Amino acid sequence: MRKLLKLCLLTGVSLLFYLSATYAQTRSLKGRITDSKDRSPIAGATVEAKNNPRSSAVTDSDGSFALSVPENTTTLVISFIGFQTIEMPVNGNLADIQLTATSRSLNEVVVVGFGTRIKKDLTGNIAKVKGSEVQNMPVSNFNQALQGRAAGVFVEGNSGKVGEGVKVLIRGVGSISASTSPLYVIDGVPVNNSSYSGNPMADINFNDIESFDILKDASAAAIYGSRAANGVVLITTKRGKAGKTNFQVNTQYGFNKPTRLRKFLNAQQYVDLLREAAINSDHIDGIDPLDPDQYEDSWLEAAEGRLDRYSGWADWKTGEINTDWQKHAFNDNARNSAIDISASGGTEKTKFYISASYNNQDGILIGNKFKRLSTRINLDQTVSDQFKIGINLSLAQTNAGRVQTDNEFSTPMQIVALTPVTPFRDLDGVVYNSPTTTYSNPYVDYENGKFKSLIYRNIGNIYGQYNFSSSLYFRTELGADIQNQNDDQFYGFNTDFGSGSNGYGESGWYRSLDYNINNYFNYKKTFADLHDLEAVAGMSYQRYNSEYANVYGEQFPVESLQKLESAALIKGGTSVENNSSFLSYFIRANYKFNNKYLFTFSSRIDGSSVFGNDEKYGFFPAVSAGWIVSEERFLHNSDVISFLKLRGSWGLTGNADGFGSFSHMGLWSGASYNAVGALSPTQLANRHLRWEKSNQVDIGLDFGLFNNRISGEIDLYNRKTQDLIFEVPVPGNSGFSTQTVNIGSMQNKGVEFVINSENISNKLFRWSSTLNISMNKNKIVKLDGLQTIIPGNDGRYLNSLMVGQSIGIFYGPKYAGVDPQNGDALYYKADGKTTTNDYNEAGDFIVGNPNPKLIAGLGNTLSFGNIQLSFLFQGVFGNQVMNGAGTFMTSGFNGYDNQTTDQLNRWQKPGDITDVPQLRLRGANGNGASSRYIYDADYVRLKNLTISYSLSAAVVKKLRLASAKFYVTGVNLLTFTGYPGWDPEVNTDARTSSNRNQGSDFYAAPQIKNISVGLNIGF
Amino acid sequence: MKKIITIIYSSLLIVGCSKELDLKPTQSIDEADVFTSDANIKAALNGAYDVVSNASFMGGDIQLYAELLGADKEIEWVGTYNEPDEVYRKAMLTNNVYIRDTWLYGYKAVNICNNILEAINIVDENDRDRVQGEALFLRGQVYFELVKLFAKPYSAGNTAANPGLQLISEPTVGDISDANRVPRSSLEDTYAFILDDLKQAKELLPEPDLDEPTVYANKYVAAAVLSRVYLQMGDYPNARQEANEVIESGYYSLTANYTDEFNNTSNTSEDIFALQVSAQHDENDMHLFWSIIDYGAREGDVAILQKHLNLYTAQDKRRALFYIDDQDIYRSGKWKLQYKNIPFIRLAEMYLTRAECNFRLGGDLGATPDEDMNETIRARVGADPIAVTLSNILMERRLELAHEGQRIHDIKRLKQPVDGFEYDANKLVMPIPIREINAVGENILKQNDGY
Repeated sequence: MRKLLKLCLLTGVSLLFYLSATYAQTRSLKGRITDSKDRSPIAGATVEAKNNPRSSAVTDSDGSFALSVPENTTTLVISFIGFQTIEMPVNGNLADIQLTATSRSLNEVVVVGFGTRIKKDLTGNIAKVKGSEVQNMPVSNFNQALQGRAAGVFVEGNSGKVGEGVKVLIRGVGSISASTSPLYVIDGVPVNNSSYSGNPMADINFNDIESFDILKDASAAAIYGSRAANGVVLITTKRGKAGKTNFQVNTQYGFNKPTRLRKFLNAQQYVDLLREAAINSDHIDGIDPLDPDQYEDSWLEAAEGRLDRYSGWADWKTGEINTDWQKHAFNDNARNSAIDISASGGTEKTKFYISASYNNQDGILIGNKFKRLSTRINLDQTVSDQFKIGINLSLAQTNAGRVQTDNEFSTPMQIVALTPVTPFRDLDGVVYNSPTTTYSNPYVDYENGKFKSLIYRNIGNIYGQYNFSSSLYFRTELGADIQNQNDDQFYGFNTDFGSGSNGYGESGWYRSLDYNINNYFNYKKTFADLHDLEAVAGMSYQRYNSEYANVYGEQFPVESLQKLESAALIKGGTSVENNSSFLSYFIRANYKFNNKYLFTFSSRIDGSSVFGNDEKYGFFPAVSAGWIVSEERFLHNSDVISFLKLRGSWGLTGNADGFGSFSHMGLWSGASYNAVGALSPTQLANRHLRWEKSNQVDIGLDFGLFNNRISGEIDLYNRKTQDLIFEVPVPGNSGFSTQTVNIGSMQNKGVEFVINSENISNKLFRWSSTLNISMNKNKIVKLDGLQTIIPGNDGRYLNSLMVGQSIGIFYGPKYAGVDPQNGDALYYKADGKTTTNDYNEAGDFIVGNPNPKLIAGLGNTLSFGNIQLSFLFQGVFGNQVMNGAGTFMTSGFNGYDNQTTDQLNRWQKPGDITDVPQLRLRGANGNGASSRYIYDADYVRLKNLTISYSLSAAVVKKLRLASAKFYVTGVNLLTFTGYPGWDPEVNTDARTSSNRNQGSDFYAAPQIKNISVGLNIGF
Repeated sequence: MKKIITIIYSSLLIVGCSKELDLKPTQSIDEADVFTSDANIKAALNGAYDVVSNASFMGGDIQLYAELLGADKEIEWVGTYNEPDEVYRKAMLTNNVYIRDTWLYGYKAVNICNNILEAINIVDENDRDRVQGEALFLRGQVYFELVKLFAKPYSAGNTAANPGLQLISEPTVGDISDANRVPRSSLEDTYAFILDDLKQAKELLPEPDLDEPTVYANKYVAAAVLSRVYLQMGDYPNARQEANEVIESGYYSLTANYTDEFNNTSNTSEDIFALQVSAQHDENDMHLFWSIIDYGAREGDVAILQKHLNLYTAQDKRRALFYIDDQDIYRSGKWKLQYKNIPFIRLAEMYLTRAECNFRLGGDLGATPDEDMNETIRARVGADPIAVTLSNILMERRLELAHEGQRIHDIKRLKQPVDGFEYDANKLVMPIPIREINAVGENILKQNDGY
């Protein structure tokens, strides 16, 4: 069958060469196009012969064009994104063609998957973010740059670790067990969104990106059928235009800092409160430790013993040491720098875009670094009037210094658990480690350990397009996404991982290949000036293969020999392969009648290797319709309404990602005992496993007011995911704990508003704003049909699954404050009224929701002469975050960890009214997982601010440049929140494995605040 | 015409290649292909050993629970993990994931054994009895560990009414069946099932092969576990009989020094059954929690308290095995080093079982209690002979087997109080994991009293 596939390919390529033809008589035209507002030249505008779009040209940087058209051409059509399309007779004044800007959105070209549409004619919901909006933003991952810019798109960084996990949810969480990530498609190639470690999206240089088109509703996304239940992000990279070669050079330099810090006790407070806690515990045992006779074996003796131990060479009684450990978690000299160079241009026949980019970001955490080198070449060749071929190719190298996940003692942030009485270094200058420090000191791991990732990422495709006529073309695309990664780790003799074993080393290698073939026809024709028809039909095939191998060992002779060759004990290793494939057929038809009535129908049949023989194929149809009301006569003369469109869509999309490639099979895998191979059951079969299906209805309204100075969109949607793939608990006496079953359903209902407005627009000053607001309500409609609640209280977190509630809702004990009489922590019993000091008697309640109710973004762009200011506020509202580490850091000394400063408000004597219980050393007074550690996490953030100054045209010309711009930009500059932890944008990487695990904090690093300066030159 | 041909031609591309969807896993095999050959079944049998040796089961946790439940101020859980702490405080929650996993690994091993027993006729005839015997032994052994933890002690009586375990003897293939949604059998029936498995195993299993010693079950491993079961049931004649058979078999001998019995990479002469641990098969929670960072463990989660140390006489070499760490906390030397085997049943226990039963029954089968206790056990550790009384024999057992996972089971069968709880207190019985109750149905699977 592989042969057949090869045949398919060869046929495609040979076909495209086999077809060619030449055409007849032409005449030559020349002209120039300018902006009607300021008569500045418009580069990149398209000029084409009416009814013969194959005769077309694009304007140069000075706005001029040259074009040959068939003899019989009478009219030219001139168009450019963001401007009204006009028609000109060929014998008109071509030397002075003026275009007038329209509202920024209506005539935008939107990429829809296997084609493009004009925004005005869309019947589905697609949010577009232009590459230029996020250009040069000093973040490592484009998803972070998209945060706040599109309605209904929720972006959340797990933490401030650079180059690490970023969660993207389009219209809420759509699945309990399967993937919730959108499908990313770059120039037609679906890319691999998994990797060995780190974030695979950080390998992509987003300065090469022309646009992001985010397909949100089912009608827009259904052409990607089985892969589209969580939405699709179509990424289009930049392409060259005919004309003079245009060079762009950008250099940038800046600083990274944590957004916020958390307050911990200082040395004096630590000593005072720890002793107080010990004395309290002694009093409970009926001992007065201040009586010298009773001191022995008292809690106070234990505590003071600890203080002695923790103080190292110093004396805690004198207060001479007050170490701020938090400070040592951060790199206070974190920089970022970037250089991007690109060149684009070409001739009528050959167009190119090439770029090289270097991006270097120090993380804010010690040991955390990110460096990316990337290059790209995009090339388009017109072979003949009918035949076009091209290639898009990018190669990136990412070099990262990683830190451990948040639950490891060796992760930098856990340094805050150490006591402030411990000096940073001993008298020999060596950083103190356990047992002087309470736990092993992460700084030791930083100094004596390394964790490096080196990734090579190659994403590219080649295409051929054959135009049978002006209305029909065939396109074939072959794409590949190749990842190669090596993770190299070493931990020295005194580190957390390496102590007791004379070092620990690990080497992991990962390779993945994802290749994809698309073949499709596109037909487009206008009949009788009334009926516009566009149809797409085709197939696509995708094959994914990944393999990784690792080996790890101990017992190194010296710390400088860090490769596993020097490990005397190889502890283990593995190699694992994973395969999956998709085969799909799709069809889509768009019909527009009289420029007013729009209809779209699409359907896709997907087959996937991840399902058993009976359930391999899924059918995913979608229909939608739109009515451009403003084209109706009764609105023609309206001064207020310049554009109005109603649209509605329904469709099914599917999800087959994120739950293992062979979940339908009953499997046994290799194991070992006594150094002999063994077989052990690993998976219970479910032959009936099938696609998760998302059924979505969207009703939308697009409007333009006052000559489109104000435009916007309102969308209502209801997305219901059925046949949710769920790990259903089965009786353990079967030898298994779960079975992968399609059961349960979930709903996401919401509303989205987008408003763009041109507030002020005159020759001196321009001010435009864009606002997006989205509200989403997630609800679990059904679990496995038997259970209505799967409680999640695991001692640190409360994320639960409950029918009728949002996924991952916090369900567990409700903290009732402190008994004023004795300082006991109290919880509500199941009746909700009476209280108890016994955690085990506490009732369970819904005590918070990690899903935001509302997310919003507000962007503003102001230009005043050569100065431009743009800023973006982004906000998340109505969600809570639970601090899973509260049981350690806000525990009233249940252990010896340093405590948060709110412990200063502890209960001390009868009558005290406070919500901080009496401190009791190892007394577990109130440190069970409860609403006590749940906090509102609403925030508003100045996500991005850029001020730029462009040199005037005259100066630029003198410098023999095309443009020059100096700018200052910043990310996460201001954060407004009531969250008492580090940063409200958080979901610890210690537990991101399950979709229900949201809103969890556990020593997660705050987000990165960056300020950079840059210079952008074009010539 | 040309156009039409090319359109048809390119349409061919759109016809797909559906065979490309038939992929097979590369590191797993379909369950239908497992029980098809002698070699596969033997590999599955080794897989059952792998499962029971998991840290959540006999690789440390069941021993840890037994010691934490029987702590009685002799040891303390000082670690930060909640789950063992709940066991230590006798305040176990029904969602305790350690307890959940112990249950799951136990039944996972049972399922492998059931699969093997179902397909036993495919095994090569020469090995069939041995394979069947090992599968029966493992199943009986697993059920015995589970019933001790998850049900009231046998010594509390009322065994026909008190619930035991869900007894599953059919393999799970293809899907869950009604056979998995069954109530708990009575404690009496559970013990009968265990005895039946172990007795059959003992019949089927071969004598140890001295030329090619293995670490797997043989006739005397089954006998040794049978002696534990009988002792737990208070059946002293049979407990003595089995222990005596093991001793008299002559295959085992005490190590010269007490310390030689621990921290080994291969079985000692004294080991009747030991879990095999290596750097590559690192399943040893006893080391992980009882040892310290210097020896590759955690921070030292279990502390040995003075009350325990005071039980030894000064010259007792077993006392010298404890060591003090740089936090001035005593640690057990039995679990000090990394990647070492876990002795599970050793010959010394058989001597002490025989001594206790002989004393109780007033007999001297094999040897007198004095010989077993003073001349064999105490002599090795340099301890002076002591009077032969029941309490001395029991104390000797407590010291000899300290921190090896027997404590709470001895406390329960001897009906002794511990940490302020009566021997049959609800809180000394582990809760049935809540996920089991949810998955089976609360009307079918009854939770233990007190939860």
